[in-house]
This record gives sequence, C-alpha cells and structure tokens, in this order.
Amino acid sequence: MEIKTAATAGTLESSDALISVEPNSKNGIEIELNSSVKKQYGKQIKKVIIETLNSLGVKNVTVHVDDKGALDCVIRARLQTAIIRAAKAKFNWEEDDAKCIN
Amino acid sequence: MEFNNLQEIIVEENDAPYLNQVEKLLNEQGLKRDKDIEYTIAIENGEEIIATGSFGGNVLKCIAVNPEYRGMGILNMVISNLISEEYRRGNTHLFIYTKPSNQKYFKDLGFYKIAEVPGHIVLFENRADGIKKYIDGLKKNNKQGKKIGSVVVNCNPFTLGHKYLIEKASKESDVLHVFVVSEDRSLFPFKTRYALVKEGTKHLNNVTLHESGDYIISNATFPTYFIKDLSEAVKIHTLLDIEIFAKYIAPALGINKRFIGEEPICKITRIYNDTMKEMLPRRGIEVEEIPRLVVDGQVVSASIVRQLIREGNFQELRKLVPETTYNFIISREAEDIIKKSTLYFNIAQN
Repeated sequence: MEIKTAATAGTLESSDALISVEPNSKNGIEIELNSSVKKQYGKQIKKVIIETLNSLGVKNVTVHVDDKGALDCVIRARLQTAIIRAAKAKFNWEEDDAKCIN
Repeated sequence: MEFNNLQEIIVEENDAPYLNQVEKLLNEQGLKRDKDIEYTIAIENGEEIIATGSFGGNVLKCIAVNPEYRGMGILNMVISNLISEEYRRGNTHLFIYTKPSNQKYFKDLGFYKIAEVPGHIVLFENRADGIKKYIDGLKKNNKQGKKIGSVVVNCNPFTLGHKYLIEKASKESDVLHVFVVSEDRSLFPFKTRYALVKEGTKHLNNVTLHESGDYIISNATFPTYFIKDLSEAVKIHTLLDIEIFAKYIAPALGINKRFIGEEPICKITRIYNDTMKEMLPRRGIEVEEIPRLVVDGQVVSASIVRQLIREGNFQELRKLVPETTYNFIISREAEDIIKKSTLYFNIAQN
C-alpha cells in the first residue's frame, strides 16, 4: 500500500494507543515511539509495527505512536486502521485482516 | 472508563447557550476565550459542560476541565478529539502553549517541550524531533563569516522599507540570514511574500533566505488567553521568541547579530523591539535598530501599502514599493488577493 496522506487512529486512553502515520519524504520506515513502558516493551512494540507494515506492503512511512500500555493486538489494529485511512484503500476486514495475522 | 452520560459536543460559533457555558468554565479557571478559534469541543455530563478544548490553525488552546471531574482521563478525551479533528483537516504538526504548572499533563499526552519562559509559558509540539529537523534544515545553509546577521520579516507585501532594512543589514554583515514568516495569516499568502522578497533582494549576494517555519511565532498565533495583561502578553511572547531564537536558530547558523526596523507607530512592535534590545545581547546576540525609510515625509509601512491597495490608489503605492512588488500587485494573479482585501479586516503586520 502507498501512503497518500496523513491519518490517525486510536485515543490516549489507558490501554489504547494513538497512532499517526504520514508519508515519508525520505524512503523507508521511520518510527517515533512515545510510551509509558518504552523501556520494557519498546522493542516488542516496534516489532509489531514493522510486521504489520510488512504484511500490508507498506515500504515508506513515518509512524508516530503514543502508547498508553496497549497490547500487541491493539497496536496492530490501530496501526492497520491508520494505514488504511492514509492509503485511502478498500479493506475487507473479514478476509484481508485474516491474511495479516501470521 | 466510560461514564454514564459523557457526550462530546462540537460547539459552533453561533451557538450562544453552549458558548456561554464554555466561557464560564474557562473563566473559572482564570482563562478566557482566545481570538482566532476555528473549532471548539465540549464534554457534557447530562446538562452541564464539564470540559472544553479548542484550536486555531495548528495551535491547541483554551483547554479546561472542571476540577470536580479531574483524574478521570477527561483531558485525554478532549485532546484526542482535538488531535483527531486537526488530522482530519490535514494538520499533523500541532502546538500547545501552556502555563509551566501544567507541563506534566501535556508531556503525558505525546507532546514535547520546545522552550520555556520560566514562570510564564511553555511551548510544546507533538513531535520529538520537530525543532531538531527544522534546525538540521537550517544548518544546510550555514555560511562562514565573522559578522553573521539576521532579520525576521513578514513583508505583507515587500516594500521599499523592507528593501532598505535588508540592504543596510547586508552591508554591515559578512553573511545575512533573512527569515520570512511562514504563517499564512496575512493578506498576501506566504508563497507570494517569499517570492517578492526573493526578487527584491537577489541583487545582494550575501543574503540567504529562509522560511521561518513554525518556530518563529507571529502575533497572530501567540495566544493571550491565559495572560492577564495585554502588554504583559507581548513581553512574554517576545521572551519566548528570543528563547527559541537564541537556543536553536542562532547557534545553528552562527548568528551573532539581529537587525530590527525602528517602530514609530505600533505599540506592540515597539514593546517587542525594546525587549529584544534588552534581552538578546545577554545571549550573545547584538541588536541593531535601523531607522525606517521615509518617502515624501512619511514612514514606508506595509500597512499603508495595503490601505492604498484597498483604496485602489496605485499611483501613490508605486512610490512605496520596488518595481518587482508593483508589477505583482497590478497582475492578474494579484486580483483575487486584492478582492479579498476589501472583504476582510487585517491585523496590522509589516
């Protein structure tokens, strides 16, 4: 998928994450992570982000994450939503989502 | 945690009953409703408004939560809503000005501190590397020299007065960095203003032009709603601008002098200038105030030029602007802009 515009998903509520994505002028994936549990789970969160981006075929993007203690599935869901909004893509949640979860 | 009756309500500018409640809530917190608000949200519990937040451009402001409802994540709700709406409008780089006592709330909401005037105001942005990226961009234009000067201009439009100031500053410097205020809150859009400055200064070979970006704050965006006195607000605005200039911008380019135009008319600009003259030298940056260009016994000012445009007096205004600016003003492209000028009232800016 190609990121066409900036988009966001999620909230700053406890256990949620506010994820914003926008096109990256330089190539590649840039992740900015702000998390209350960055030291313990920072690596894991970034891993989930990169896996999700790969499964959606996103190669160039800047991702800002404001994490308030969200589980992997929440990070994945919010990121997927933000990406799909940013790519202005059609997405069948029943079929396509199943392909994303390895 | 969701509470029984909490509703998010968008408050329209013509919605007097809700607006009154919002104002009352703000006043109770020692705040008032700022000028320049594009969107306001309120959180309602049953019949009562218990929280509110607004924004103007990319600046979030006028945020308050009823003390009885604190500690419930309601500030989160308000800020999340404001961020969502800003994104929907395509504004992803957001700023908040707040009192130093409120710093900790915004650190938790994904905002990063840019600069502080102790005891008065703190400026936050929602990017960890926002200011850093801007500075890295500036550094690419770093030029060597002993006397490295700077000028910050709005140029709405570029007049002979601006040309005079920049020429003088250029003569007295090895290198001159000219910053054009990026914000699109002036009659002439930024692209136009920048182009006219570029045209009007291309004969000076030691001048480098820069966009001011989001980090040189104009009067229009600086919020005053939590500062009691208006002239105090100007002073605080200046101190914040100085802090950002001295902490980030000047070191990036090795700037050791700032040139400003004398301000005979506007009281606000005069307070700004006086504060600069007092404070910048303490940060190692010399300040030189240059008297304004006078044509036909009158100080050349962009606001006078705009007035003449509104009056359609092209003969008079031709005396006050360089050929490049005049040619633009009489062009097709400028027609739309001029039509707008007779429709809305401008905050005086030069």
